[in-house]
Amino acid sequence: MTFDFRILAMMLAFVTLAFAPAAEAQNRLGNTELNVPATLLAESQQVQAGQTVTLAFLMEPKPTWHGYWENPGDAGIGMSFDWKLPAGVTAGKAQFPVPDTLLISGIMNYVYKGDYAVLVNLTLSKNVRPGPLPISVKSEWLSCTDEICVPEQDELSITLQVVEAESSAPIDKRFNDFRTAMARPLGSDATFSVSDDRFRLSVPLPANVRLDKPYFFIKEDGMVDYGAPQKFTRDGDRLILETGARGDQLDTISGILKIGDHMGFLFTAAKGEVAMTGLPLVNDGAKAEGSASLLFLALGGALLGGLLLNLMPCVFPILSLKAISLAKAGGNESEVRRDALAYTAGVVLVATALGAILLGLRASGAAVGWAFQLQDPRIIFVLLALVTAIGLNLAGLFELPNLNFGNKLTKKDGTAGSFWTGALAAFVATPCTGPFMAAALGATIVLPPVAALVIFAGLGVGLALPFLLIAFVPAIRSRLPKPGPWLDSFRKIMAIPMFLTSIGLIWLLGRQIGTDALGLSLIFLLTISLILWWFGGGQMKGLSRGALTSAAMVVAIVAGILALPGEDAMNDQKLASSSSATLPSEPFSETRLSELRASGEPVFAYFTADWCITCKANEAAAIQRTETAKAFAAAKVTVLMGDWTRPDPDISRFLEKHGRAGVPLYLYYAPGKEPVILPQILTVATLTDLVTNPV
Amino acid sequence: MRNLPSVAFTAIAAIALASPLAAAQKNGTIAQDFKLTDVNGKTVQLSQFRGKTVILEWHNPGCPFVSKHYSSGNMQATQKAARQQGAVWLTINSGAKGKQGHMTGAEAKALIAKQNIQSTNYLFDTKGVVGKAYGARTTPHMYIIDGSGILVYQGGIDDKPTANPADIKRARNHVLAALGEIKSGDKVSVAQSRPYGCSVKYAS
Repeated sequence: MTFDFRILAMMLAFVTLAFAPAAEAQNRLGNTELNVPATLLAESQQVQAGQTVTLAFLMEPKPTWHGYWENPGDAGIGMSFDWKLPAGVTAGKAQFPVPDTLLISGIMNYVYKGDYAVLVNLTLSKNVRPGPLPISVKSEWLSCTDEICVPEQDELSITLQVVEAESSAPIDKRFNDFRTAMARPLGSDATFSVSDDRFRLSVPLPANVRLDKPYFFIKEDGMVDYGAPQKFTRDGDRLILETGARGDQLDTISGILKIGDHMGFLFTAAKGEVAMTGLPLVNDGAKAEGSASLLFLALGGALLGGLLLNLMPCVFPILSLKAISLAKAGGNESEVRRDALAYTAGVVLVATALGAILLGLRASGAAVGWAFQLQDPRIIFVLLALVTAIGLNLAGLFELPNLNFGNKLTKKDGTAGSFWTGALAAFVATPCTGPFMAAALGATIVLPPVAALVIFAGLGVGLALPFLLIAFVPAIRSRLPKPGPWLDSFRKIMAIPMFLTSIGLIWLLGRQIGTDALGLSLIFLLTISLILWWFGGGQMKGLSRGALTSAAMVVAIVAGILALPGEDAMNDQKLASSSSATLPSEPFSETRLSELRASGEPVFAYFTADWCITCKANEAAAIQRTETAKAFAAAKVTVLMGDWTRPDPDISRFLEKHGRAGVPLYLYYAPGKEPVILPQILTVATLTDLVTNPV
Repeated sequence: MRNLPSVAFTAIAAIALASPLAAAQKNGTIAQDFKLTDVNGKTVQLSQFRGKTVILEWHNPGCPFVSKHYSSGNMQATQKAARQQGAVWLTINSGAKGKQGHMTGAEAKALIAKQNIQSTNYLFDTKGVVGKAYGARTTPHMYIIDGSGILVYQGGIDDKPTANPADIKRARNHVLAALGEIKSGDKVSVAQSRPYGCSVKYAS
C-alpha cells in the first residue's frame, strides 16, 4: 500500500475548484443530482486564432460509483459528446486517462473509480475573430455501482476569449495532473496474432522497464475476451501477452498497456506472428509458483537460524540444563514429550507475534508514505546500520541488557510452565537471540507479509527443535556438549558473516549513491559504532548508559537517513551520470533553452524515456557516439535532454507544441534560425551534417 | 453418506459458477441445451422447441437499457413479430437473489401483465448457470437459435448503444433483421454484434 501523491494533488486541486468560479461550466441539464457529475474546464481562458486549447471534462464519481473508459469492456457504455461550436472551431477526439479493471461475476468492466478527467483539444482556424467564444457540449455517459447503472447526461458550456496577442491568462494547473494520468504514446508498433481462441500481443518494451501488474486494455471490441486472465512473458526487449480471443476480424488494433498506477502506453498493433517466448512474468496467478520456492528457501533459512540460536551463550545453558535434568530423571516419557510440545508452542507463538507486530509497524509506516523497497538507499542504510550493530554485538563490543520478568510464570509446573518457558525463551532471551531476530526483521521490511510471518514462525520452530529432539530421542540427552568457553568463541565467529553482509551492503550503497555520499554514510556508521562501543564500555564498568545510547543511536540513524539521497535524487543521479556519457547533456527546461537561444548558441534537444525502444536505439546508434560528440563539441552545440520516463507536464506540453504526442523528439536549433525537427530514426550522419553543413 | 451427491453437485455448481464467461456459445454450432423453470414453476427445456426458431433475451427489469426497449414498446413489438413468424421467445432473468432485477414468480407475472410482455416463456436462472454457459454479459443480450438448434445470432438488440428511447427509430434492430433473413432462407448478415446495457447481475 503506497500512498499516491498524485491523488493528493488531485484532491487539493478539487478543493481549489470551489474558489475558481470563472472557469466553471453552467447549465446542468435538469436539476437531478448526478452520481458521476461532470464539470467542463479550459486549460486557458484565452486562446489565439489558429491555435489549440485543451478542455477537460472533470468527472467526480460519488463513493462506490464509477465511470467508463472509451471501451467499457463486457458491459457498460463509453462517453458520447455532441458539440455546439462556433464556426471555425473543431473538437478533437476525446482522450481518456489510463483506466482500471473491475471484474464482477466474471464480467470485466474498464472503469474509473476515483475522479478523472477526459481531455479534448479544440482547434481554432486562423480566421476566428477576437471576442467571446461560447462552447457548448451535450454529453452522455453511464454511471454504475457494482450493483446498478444509471445513464447520465449533462449540457455543459464554457465561454473562452479569443485574443489577438499571446494569451496572458494563467494556465489551469490542474491540467498538469490531468495530463499525468493520460496514457502516453509508446512510439513503436506492436504485433498481435489470433489462433486457436488465443489472442497474443507482442509489445516492444525495453527489458529494464519495471512492470507493476501489467494489463492490456484493447480499444476495439470483439477481439479479446475481456474477462480472461492475461498472461505475460518477457523476452528481451519485448513484452508478450496471451489471453482469450473472441474474434479475428481486424487487422489493426490499438490500446493501452498499463504498467502501474496511472502509467500506461498507447500503441497500435498490426496482425502478425507472435510466439510465447521468454520468461513468464511473476505476476498474480503466475506469482504463486515463483514465490512458493522463495518461501521455502526463506523458511529453510529461518529454521537454520533458529537452530543456531540455541548455540547462543544465553540459550545453550538452558538447553543443556534441561537435557541433563531429563537424562538424570528418566521420568515419565509422555510427560516429557508434552512439555516439549508446549515449549515449542510457546516459542513459535511469541516469535510469530513478534513478526506480526513488526508487520503492523511496517503497515503504519506505509500508510504515511514510506515505501519499503530495497532499491531505496535509505532502507539499505538502515539495514547496514542494523547488520553492523549485530556484528559488533556478536564480536563482544557490547551486550544487550537482559530482561528480567516472567520468572514466576516459568516456575509453574507441568505443561503451562513449559509453555511459558518456551514463550520466554523466545522473548526474554531476545537480547542474545536479537542478532538473528534482527536479521528476520530486515527480511520483514522487504518481504510480503505472509512470507515474513512464515520466517518468524520458522525461526521459532528452529529454536524449539533441539528441545523436541531431546524430548523425543532420549539418546541425545547424554551426548549434548557441555557449555563452556567454546560458546563464546562460537559467538564471536558468528560476527564474521554479519560483517561480510555489511560489506555487501556498503558495496550496494556505493553503486547507488556514488562514493561521495557513501563516505558520508560511512561516517554515520562509524558514529553508530562508537556510540555502541561507549555503551559497551559503560557495561564493563557497570554503568547504565542505555537511555542516552538509545537517544544517540536514533539521532545518528535519522541523520544518516536524512543525509542520503531519496528516490527523486536518484533520478537526478541518473541525469548527472549522463554527463559522463559519450555526449554529455543538461536536463531540458524551456527557460534554459531560451537562455541558450538568446545567447546565440546552437542547441540540440532530445526527448527520451527509458521505456521507449526507438529512443534507446537512436541513442545507441547515433547520439551517444564519439563522432557525434566530437562534431557537437567542435561546433559548441549545447545538448539538452528531456527525460519523459515519468510523466512530466512541462515536457508533455513542449512535445504537444511541436505536434508530437510522445517521444522521441529531436530538435536542432541553429543560432537565430527556426528549429529543425529531425527524423524519428537518426544516423550519425544526420547529426554531424547539422553542424558541418549548416542547414 | 447420504448427502454426498448433493455435496458433489454443489461442488460442480460452484466450479461452473466460478468459471469466467469464456465458455460462451459459438455461432454456427449447436446451442447448448438447458432446462429452466418459468414463472409458474413449469420446467422449460430448449431442445423441446427443435424445429422452431428460438430467441433468447436476457432481462433485468431494473436496468435502464431494458426499460428503454420496454417503455417504448420496442421489445414487445419485436417479440410479437417473432412469434407471428412462428418463433419461440424465451426471456431469461439471471439476476441472483438480492441483486437488482431479481423477481419471484408472482412479481414476474405482474410485470408481464403490466408491460404486456409478449415472450413465450419468462424463465429464472437465479444461479446464473445458463447465463454463464451462453456468456450473457448484458441486459438485454440477444441470441437466435435456428430450427436445427444452431446458434445464428448473438449480440445487442440494435446498433444504437444508448439509454435514449429516441434512438430506437434510427437503429437497426438486429433481431428483426436476422428473423427476416432466416424467414427468406438467407444467411444472417449481422451474426454478431456488441451487446450493450447493464451487466448481468450474477450471484458470483
